Amino acid sequence: MPDKLEITNNIRTLRFFANEMTQQTLAEQAGVSRQTIIAVEAGKYTPSLELAFRIAEAFGVSITEVFSVVKQPKQQELKEK
Amino acid sequence: MSYQEKKTIVSLITGVLILVAYCIYAFGKAGMEQLDNLQFWAKTILAFIGIGIVALIIIMIVFHILLAVSKAVQQKLSDETIDDKEIEKSIEREMVEDEMDKLIELKASRIGYSAIGVGFIAGLIAVAFGASAVALLNILFLSGSVGSIVEGFVQIGYYRRGVR
Repeated sequence: MPDKLEITNNIRTLRFFANEMTQQTLAEQAGVSRQTIIAVEAGKYTPSLELAFRIAEAFGVSITEVFSVVKQPKQQELKEK
Repeated sequence: MSYQEKKTIVSLITGVLILVAYCIYAFGKAGMEQLDNLQFWAKTILAFIGIGIVALIIIMIVFHILLAVSKAVQQKLSDETIDDKEIEKSIEREMVEDEMDKLIELKASRIGYSAIGVGFIAGLIAVAFGASAVALLNILFLSGSVGSIVEGFVQIGYYRRGVR
């Protein structure tokens, strides 16, 4: 089985640099509820590709500047270590 | 607490109330006197399905009115200069349903349907072991009710823990 991928994000940092953009403003620009932005920011929800692009567009950056991928080692590898 | 969470809790409470009302009626004096009367049970279950739907619609209307009023009062208190259009917009913004809500609903309904499926199998097993058609009807209805309650709890759980 392939390694599990953990998707992390820089939304909090990007909001800070976007003149402390509120979660509500970002939610309106991305067309979702504030609850969803809170969940995405906290890593509790992995957004769809479409929403990920919309969030990146709201900050005027590329999608890779908002989201990045961290490989999670398999349980087997962890045991070996 | 978000709008979706509140909505789920309200429908969950409605479901529990209907289930409790059914249990009190069906397993009380009225039901116990009609244990072999299949027609009585079919009519009772049909009536409770109808009551459940109507109650849910009425409770949801009242909930939305109260939510809108509380939001409007809250905003007026924090900013007296705010106009009605702005208040209306903010209420609409809060009630938006997006992809996360749909995903949570789908995942929760899958678990809810599983509970109904388990109830169906349990009903068949009960009949296979000699239970009456009345017992089967009750097991099916109760598993449907319990399934929708489980669905509500799972939805709240996903909203709290997150969904991946």
